[in-house]
Amino acid sequence: MKGRRALRMLCRGVLLVIVALGVFAGSVTRFSYAFQFRELPNAPPSALHLLGTDQLGRDVFTRVLYGTRISLLLAPAAALLTTCIAAILGGIAGLRGGWLEKIILATADLSMSLPLLFVLISLRALLPLDVSPVLSVVATFVVLGLLGWSSSLRVVWAAARNLRQSEQILLARALGYRNSQLLFRQTIPSLRPVFLAQFWISIPVFILTEATLSMLGLGVMEPLPSWGNLLRGFEDFSAVAANPWRLAPLLVLVLTVICFQFVFPESEEFAR
Amino acid sequence: MKRRFLRLGQRVLYIVALAIVGALLCATMVRFAPGYGVDESELDFRLSRSSREAIRSKHQLGEGMVSYYGTYIKGLAHGDFGTSVSLQQPVRELLKARAPFTARAVSVGLLAAWILASTLSLLTTRFEIWVLDYFATAATGLLIALPTAVVALGCVYLRVPVSLGIAVVTLPKLFQYQHNIFGHAQAQPFVLAARARGVSRNRILFRHVIPVAWHPLVALLGVSASMAFGAAIPLEALSDSPGIGQLAWQAALNRDLPLLTSITLLVTLLTVGVNTLAEAMHEEWV
Repeated sequence: MKGRRALRMLCRGVLLVIVALGVFAGSVTRFSYAFQFRELPNAPPSALHLLGTDQLGRDVFTRVLYGTRISLLLAPAAALLTTCIAAILGGIAGLRGGWLEKIILATADLSMSLPLLFVLISLRALLPLDVSPVLSVVATFVVLGLLGWSSSLRVVWAAARNLRQSEQILLARALGYRNSQLLFRQTIPSLRPVFLAQFWISIPVFILTEATLSMLGLGVMEPLPSWGNLLRGFEDFSAVAANPWRLAPLLVLVLTVICFQFVFPESEEFAR
Repeated sequence: MKRRFLRLGQRVLYIVALAIVGALLCATMVRFAPGYGVDESELDFRLSRSSREAIRSKHQLGEGMVSYYGTYIKGLAHGDFGTSVSLQQPVRELLKARAPFTARAVSVGLLAAWILASTLSLLTTRFEIWVLDYFATAATGLLIALPTAVVALGCVYLRVPVSLGIAVVTLPKLFQYQHNIFGHAQAQPFVLAARARGVSRNRILFRHVIPVAWHPLVALLGVSASMAFGAAIPLEALSDSPGIGQLAWQAALNRDLPLLTSITLLVTLLTVGVNTLAEAMHEEWV
């Protein structure tokens, strides 16, 4: 138990450092993520370029930092969207019961059976070819947020259904609370640990999905960096073997996802 | 018996309703996608107005929504999934040519993942050795932190088949689910009571833990099929394997929505079918 707590603190520390580096990327590095040192393509690490440069002469360290910012700011935003949808729909299903519960659960079951990546690329393909990089980032994470709610909903629904029978809700009903008041004043605040757990669980899932989408050329578009499109350089194995520091984005991504698996506080872990 | 038929009928009805709703959604996506209603040949300035009208009527562009949906669903009912915009081939033929490859890769990969995950979780449950437990959890935790596309590149680099990639992607998730299911079954009061009475570990595992864990494991079957199909896209795309996943990826890059939506609809119906089968098996045993 003590070891687990130490591991959790270590993971929180690592995540804090990674998030801080991403948020303060502009202060940590003096280059722009899109600036090209045309005379220095594929340069090895040096004092000026800590992780060298890519084929276009862009500073890899800078791109990793800005990629961290994008992945670590937008994945939690998508997780928040997912959690909000799951909280409202799961809360309604759990509290109301009856036909509404059946419809919501059937929709969630159907959504869970959908192969997420197929649906994602179908929706992503609806965007026009000349879409701006910023819009591509936002669209990718919004679509992720809109599609990822079903598994969270099941958990929220189970917790809300248990709460429906509780004295707290019975008392609130006896006091004349309306359904909306029951949902927003009683159920949602009581289920906060469940929501937090679902929120934490969703973040690494979205980080990984974005990485896969971007590696396939269907996620964040160049010149904006994200962990996913930084990994696209891996397709050239000989270059990676000759320049192992190019593995840096993958290491940061894997480290972040592993850390997210261990950062649950006690109450959220219990709720999970 | 009558009840069983009624349930079967309900399930079939559910899949039919899903197919219709899915088809309507697909049709809507195709209809409102950027570029719909424009044929490149119309841009030829030498064409007269009547020639342009003829092109439009040939491709049934600009028709009303009701007629559009009607034509789309009628075509689907006759097995006509339309024509791929980018490959200029009937979608049906493309699917027919590529489906066997993906079906084989997904089934072999899933089978391998299930065997490995079950063996690993049964071993950790049976022997309760902390080193084994930590090793299995750490290894699967590391694998789960890898994006599927990176696993795909690893497969290309190591020249291993796509099915092995599917196994590597689904194994950690399956292990974690199974580990939790067995852990939950092992914490049941009757298992604790059996332990207290000195019942052997093998007997506890096979007579008490597995029968309890069996039902959630069957339910996991459907979810794992969905996971495997999802993994097939990056694996086939990046390893240049001629399957449905690669076709979907090419369709997405080329904004070929008739092809993409047909693939999505088919894969969805397939995974829902597997889920329904798993549920039916679950209810039969319960």
